[in-house]
Amino acid sequence: MKWKVKYINLAIFLLLTAVPLVAGIGYALLYSVALVGILSTGFTLDNWCKVLTASAFWWSLGFSFYVATVTIALSVCMALAVVLRFGQWFRRGTLSFMIYLPLVFPAMVMAFYAFQLLSKSGIISRIAFQTGLIKDLNNFPDLINDNWGAGIIFAHVCMATPFLIILFNNLYQNENLPAFVAIAKTMGATRRQIIQRVEIPVLLNKSFSTLMLYFIFVMNSYEIPLLLGSQSRQMISVFTIQKLQRFNLQDIPQAYVASVIYTGLVIIVIATGLSHFNKKKTTMNQRHII
Amino acid sequence: MKQLFRLFVVLIILFPFVVLFTLSMGRNWAYPNVLPNVWTLQNWQNIWSLNADLSQSLILSLLLSTGVAAVVTLLSFITAKHLSFSRHKHRWLLLAYFPYVFAPVILGACLQFFFLKLGWSGSVWGVLLAQLFIAYPFGVILFSGFWNEQTRAMEQLTATLGGNSLQTYIKVLLPIAKNALLICFFQTFLISWFEYGLTTIIGVGKVQTLTVKVFQYVNEANIFYAALASCLLIFPPVALLWVNKKFVFLE
Repeated sequence: MKWKVKYINLAIFLLLTAVPLVAGIGYALLYSVALVGILSTGFTLDNWCKVLTASAFWWSLGFSFYVATVTIALSVCMALAVVLRFGQWFRRGTLSFMIYLPLVFPAMVMAFYAFQLLSKSGIISRIAFQTGLIKDLNNFPDLINDNWGAGIIFAHVCMATPFLIILFNNLYQNENLPAFVAIAKTMGATRRQIIQRVEIPVLLNKSFSTLMLYFIFVMNSYEIPLLLGSQSRQMISVFTIQKLQRFNLQDIPQAYVASVIYTGLVIIVIATGLSHFNKKKTTMNQRHII
Repeated sequence: MKQLFRLFVVLIILFPFVVLFTLSMGRNWAYPNVLPNVWTLQNWQNIWSLNADLSQSLILSLLLSTGVAAVVTLLSFITAKHLSFSRHKHRWLLLAYFPYVFAPVILGACLQFFFLKLGWSGSVWGVLLAQLFIAYPFGVILFSGFWNEQTRAMEQLTATLGGNSLQTYIKVLLPIAKNALLICFFQTFLISWFEYGLTTIIGVGKVQTLTVKVFQYVNEANIFYAALASCLLIFPPVALLWVNKKFVFLE
């Protein structure tokens, strides 16, 4: 009876985790080589060749990578600056509760807010007009639907920075950094040396896997680039879904090719990142032992 | 200077709430006015009118998210136990991370065919099942930390003292798991509540949750209703956050 319960539970787990994943990738793979689907003509790698040689897919992948890199870099810098300078504000009192408030914003709402703030007819543009900084609506720069993804990055930074402030602040306490800082001070380190050689390395090292997952989360994002992105520079999720939903049926297999390649790349990035991180951790532990 | 910066941080945090709330009560916002020309509570009153789209979306979102959270909390609590005490614990848990490799919207696109075949595409049950695919692994990962040697020892002690399986759950395991259960419920509620991509693909526009509604209003350039729907979207998470701080994590 006991083993039956165990296997039923394992079956539920597999049905809700592995089965959809395998089914999804499997179907996308079979569709991409024309073995299933409305256009199935027998095995062919034509769709793969088309996607791999088309610049649109690589631009889309590169743009997603760029947005994620800039978002994480800006958010980490801002969160580190706030935590290292004013960390105690977020440990008790009103701000310790308020810093959680930005986390209640779904991506869709954050995108809508960014749109109302940064668009040509948005709040900042109106304030700039009223204060005489601009003379016409067209003088306001294109921050939404632009080719540099300024609006997308702004929305993601607004979501990521509070999260990273909370993360770094918790790590600061859990890793007993105040004690390390006190030791460094006793040994004669300057404030700059303490920040550069003690605080930042510990915080970044301990948060590496979370930062990597957040990087993937930004690359995967759909709602924000859908509302704030441009048609010529699309993030990978938007690129794939638009290809799937177009009237041209020839685009569907190519969308599945893009899905398979992107998923494969994400798996490689996660595996490489984690193994590199684990290796580094092992080397550091060995150094400690020596 | 420090106090001034502190005030600045508070204002930055509150500003999005002020913007959304202001827009939700406005009408006729011509450029270059910073505030809407007309202020009215009509938008908010319209929510409660019978057959109003927005109230239906609100109720649907609440039911869907509560359903996902309840199913995930119950299922993952039990399955995480069997996984955590199995010989290949780490392999199973690694598998729980894999659904997050897929962008939810791409996962939805790849699975749409199966939902169509099963006749669940465009139905609330289909969307609920699709959301389970991203919420359930989170629950398993969360509870894998709860099921450890200590909880196993407690279970064995209760059995030694003559307690049966049901009594062990009701009198021992559920009380000590109360916080973890609440966190799992809240977090998975939010995963479902915030979800857009998967919902719109599997729901094919028929399952109109609040996030779908916000996008629809933005597309229609109806910013006042989009702001109103946004306010409805952020209110329950704020309430959950407050409950969490006030009652769950009492310091």
